[in-house]
Amino acid sequence: MAVVMIGNPNVGKSAVLSRLTDRPLLVSNYSGTSVEIIATQLKSAGKTIDIYDTPGIYSIKSASAEQQVISELIYSQKIDLILNIVDAVNLERNLVLTYELMELGIPMILVINQIDRARQMGIEINCQLLSQIIKSEVVCFSANTGEGLMELISLIEMKGNKEGKDKGAGQPVTIIKTKFDGNSCNGNCAGCSRSFLEIGAEDLKRAEKAADTARMVTRQTGSQSKKWMNKAQQIIDKPYLGTIILLLVAYLAFLVLMKFIELSEGPISDLLAPVNAVIEKVILTYLPDSIFTTILAKAVPEGLIVPFTIIMPAMLMVSIIMSLIEDTGLLPRYSVVLERVGSLFGLSGQAVIPLSLGFGCRTPAVMATRILPNQQQRFIAIVLLSVVIPCAATLGILASVITTFQASLPVIIVTMTVTLILIGYVLSHIMPAEEVFIYELPPLRIPLWSNLWTKLKMRFSGFFTEVLPLLLVMSIAVRALIESGLLNHLHSIENITKALFGIPAEAFVAVLLTIFQRYLAPLILLNLDLTAREATIAISMIALSLPCLPVMVMTVREIGFKGLFKVLAIGMSTSILVGIILNLILP
Amino acid sequence: MTLKDMKPGQKAKVLKINHGGNLSRRLFQIGLIPGAELTVISQHPFKGPVVFELGNATFALGQGVAGAVEVYTNENK
Repeated sequence: MAVVMIGNPNVGKSAVLSRLTDRPLLVSNYSGTSVEIIATQLKSAGKTIDIYDTPGIYSIKSASAEQQVISELIYSQKIDLILNIVDAVNLERNLVLTYELMELGIPMILVINQIDRARQMGIEINCQLLSQIIKSEVVCFSANTGEGLMELISLIEMKGNKEGKDKGAGQPVTIIKTKFDGNSCNGNCAGCSRSFLEIGAEDLKRAEKAADTARMVTRQTGSQSKKWMNKAQQIIDKPYLGTIILLLVAYLAFLVLMKFIELSEGPISDLLAPVNAVIEKVILTYLPDSIFTTILAKAVPEGLIVPFTIIMPAMLMVSIIMSLIEDTGLLPRYSVVLERVGSLFGLSGQAVIPLSLGFGCRTPAVMATRILPNQQQRFIAIVLLSVVIPCAATLGILASVITTFQASLPVIIVTMTVTLILIGYVLSHIMPAEEVFIYELPPLRIPLWSNLWTKLKMRFSGFFTEVLPLLLVMSIAVRALIESGLLNHLHSIENITKALFGIPAEAFVAVLLTIFQRYLAPLILLNLDLTAREATIAISMIALSLPCLPVMVMTVREIGFKGLFKVLAIGMSTSILVGIILNLILP
Repeated sequence: MTLKDMKPGQKAKVLKINHGGNLSRRLFQIGLIPGAELTVISQHPFKGPVVFELGNATFALGQGVAGAVEVYTNENK
């Protein structure tokens, strides 16, 4: 039996899911989009029930990515039952979607979530009456207190037992009658394409019906109790104070990430060292003696160090931070307070989260761009992360190189800031997104631990299944490239690098080496005899160039190879342009 | 008067949406339709978003969108 959970944003679908299944077994996400669908299994009365948790939508009749994924799910997985999760506090608006879902003709249970919060606000809902009106089962539910849980489980089981009888259901049902008959339509007619954009008579009727129904079943008792959470929310929603608090939270997240990497790096390295020694020995002993074996014996242990000591703890902590900021209801508030600043870069205010995490470690920060509202914003944020934002490791080594050569720090900082603004500005103008700023601000709430755990598992599991294997393969390829001696031939281009960027060929090799490990590249500079001017140009070019290998792997995972190539092209041209311009304007 | 001209604490009813297509559809989905009552919570500085309560939910709209929402208040200003 397959069950899909559908509801408006911020109604607590995931929280309901956590209550239903104490132990999520299967977890998957739809890569390539920011749409995550959590698949879980509920075992009850000897039956296995697959439950899909979908992202929040207001309507199944819109053209958004979420809607498409949900439609696909409904039609491909042979859904037997819809759990429509609605917010007891905003019944009228939520019921519009309910009426849309009823037209699908799939058996449905209406779960009125947050019934406890509604009571606190003095809203009473007559679930029995609602059940009679919409002719579906209705459960008054609270994911916080567990109210209605047994009732919901037994209802789902009951539907599961009737499964055989109900198969073949799913024929569209007309709930709202209008002149335009949607039943005889294949979805491509003028009527349908119009209804995606404009509000048709059927939409208005549905809204009216939802409003009537909500009015009939709701009673305001007027006992409004204000809790401290509401107080906190009022403070955070003040324009100036709220901005300061939210920026402090982002800074705190960055500090926590840094501290966590710092604390975990030592112990993990100590654990990894003997393991790597064994791996090297095994490869050298059991594989035939050849160049390939030499490369593998070096590349595999090498390829494990960075992923395990830095990427793994960073991904873990970033996953925790992302989930916390999402589940407390803080995330959309970043969009609101930083809307003006973000618009300079063509980004929403939420981008401050991945960008500030990027100063710690950029690899998981690329993953954190999932919290951005659309693909265009994700791409801009990933480019800024890859090309401009220096991670903590890069910053440390850059600082040491800057002092060694007495390179000009102001020039480097100004160059990086100007580049940041220019890239954001240019990209947002080349690929403009629809400038519609509409956000729902959920009430602040304390996250449910089980919910955090589910999300954490989902986001972190990618480290072992995708990030680590890809990194290993790429690390072997890089080692092979270095062993082949190809890089030594670059000396012949000294004339070109001198003329274009005013730096020697070795320094340009360091720029190219950023591909492999950005924070190793500056170390090569340390061995060279550079003037302050040459160092300033070379450091700027290194600081503004290509993403490091782990970031590339993560970029492929998040936006595909095409996206990565675009990022690389932008990074390379930025680096070259910066070199040329600095060479022209620096005295 | 539009939503973007309102002051924090002010209440108003939606008169009409001066925009067609996708925008009015999305406003419709959040329940911002003629006749709906709303209360402005805050206006963010530098022409930032307008935050308001609608029903029991809180929403934020950018200035561009808020300017398309025509409202009327009881204060006759």
